[in-house]
Amino acid sequence: MIPILGLAAGVLLGLFFDPTVPLWLQPYLPIAVVAALDAVFGGFRARLDGIFDAKVFVISFVSNVVVAALIVFLGDQLGVGAQLSTAVVVVLGIRIFGNAAAIRRHVFRA
Amino acid sequence: MGASLLDAVLAETLDPAYAQAAAARAATGAAPRPRRRARVLVALTMAVAGLLVAVTYDQAAASAQGRAQVRAALIEDIRSDSRVTDELAVQLESLRTQVAGTRDQLLAASAVGQRALDDLAQAERGAAAVPVTGPGLLVTLANADPGADDDPVGGRTTEEDPRGRVRDGDLQLVVNALWAAGAEAVSINGQRLGPATAIRFAGEAVLVDFRPVTNPYEVSAVGDPDTLSTQFLASPEVGALAVISESFGLRFDFARKKELSLPAASIPELRSAQPQGREPTTPGAATTPGASPDAGTAPDREPGG
Repeated sequence: MIPILGLAAGVLLGLFFDPTVPLWLQPYLPIAVVAALDAVFGGFRARLDGIFDAKVFVISFVSNVVVAALIVFLGDQLGVGAQLSTAVVVVLGIRIFGNAAAIRRHVFRA
Repeated sequence: MGASLLDAVLAETLDPAYAQAAAARAATGAAPRPRRRARVLVALTMAVAGLLVAVTYDQAAASAQGRAQVRAALIEDIRSDSRVTDELAVQLESLRTQVAGTRDQLLAASAVGQRALDDLAQAERGAAAVPVTGPGLLVTLANADPGADDDPVGGRTTEEDPRGRVRDGDLQLVVNALWAAGAEAVSINGQRLGPATAIRFAGEAVLVDFRPVTNPYEVSAVGDPDTLSTQFLASPEVGALAVISESFGLRFDFARKKELSLPAASIPELRSAQPQGREPTTPGAATTPGASPDAGTAPDREPGG
């Protein structure tokens, strides 16, 4: 319950205070969000599997976000930013899908 | 790592670190009860995730809104500018009428002036500077319909066949055939063709007198409808164009009209003028732009194509 409250608080904070993001960081926001979603879904599934670990969750979240943004940044420097973004989105998208399916099996037993 | 990369991606959707941590906990027999600090950390991380989502959503929404605003501003600019253009055109038209009226008044006073006026009227007819109304022929040319096999998902990704488009050459051919068939005045989509009017192609658009005209192209020709249609159809170029448009799906048909109204062509700029020594010039007639100095040279120009 507390994690969900934290998520809601974060969303509300972001919507109300409308923080300005530095221009150089803006291209990496969407990819960071996808990476964060992957970590959140993974944590939720681990929770349902009964193997949730706070340390693993926090580390996987931070490293996911940072690595995804770094990959895209590197791609931008090498001129393949768009392609690398696609690659990251595909891989993370597959993982999110798989975790969502596992969560569904837990919740609905189907 | 026996499985291929794709298999690994598809099979291992959960971070293996969770399983490892669980195994380690089971091995050491540590308490599975979450500590307080860990809970706070998890909540904070979730808050960061929510913040990321909200900020990114804001950014995306703001940029979409900005684009919409810029687009609306540009559309408004275009509208107001074309309003200004329309107003100026109306003003120009009224001033021209005024000038012509004053000129006619001044010239009609003397016999020499009257002769000049007659010459001028003839020249103006030749130069398509006066509107024309009368029976004639209406030829319609239109692009081929875009194919029905367009990809419905990707939008119009397939290139439109350029052969299915009406080109400047087609319009030139039709106009020339109409002149040859005895047309007295020709216009395309309401753009009257003067002696020096060009029909050209610029990018995707056909320009008549440097103004774009769009599909479908309606070529109106004033003249005797019967002679026009027989002569027009007898011309071999028109026959060839009919065959071509048939095979590429272009629309090409014509109709006799009892009443066609053609506007005046835009008057070309006065580039050179000669003072005529034989006329005792009155100041008013000599300084009126486009009036008597032009009248001497204008009849030389015959309506071409």
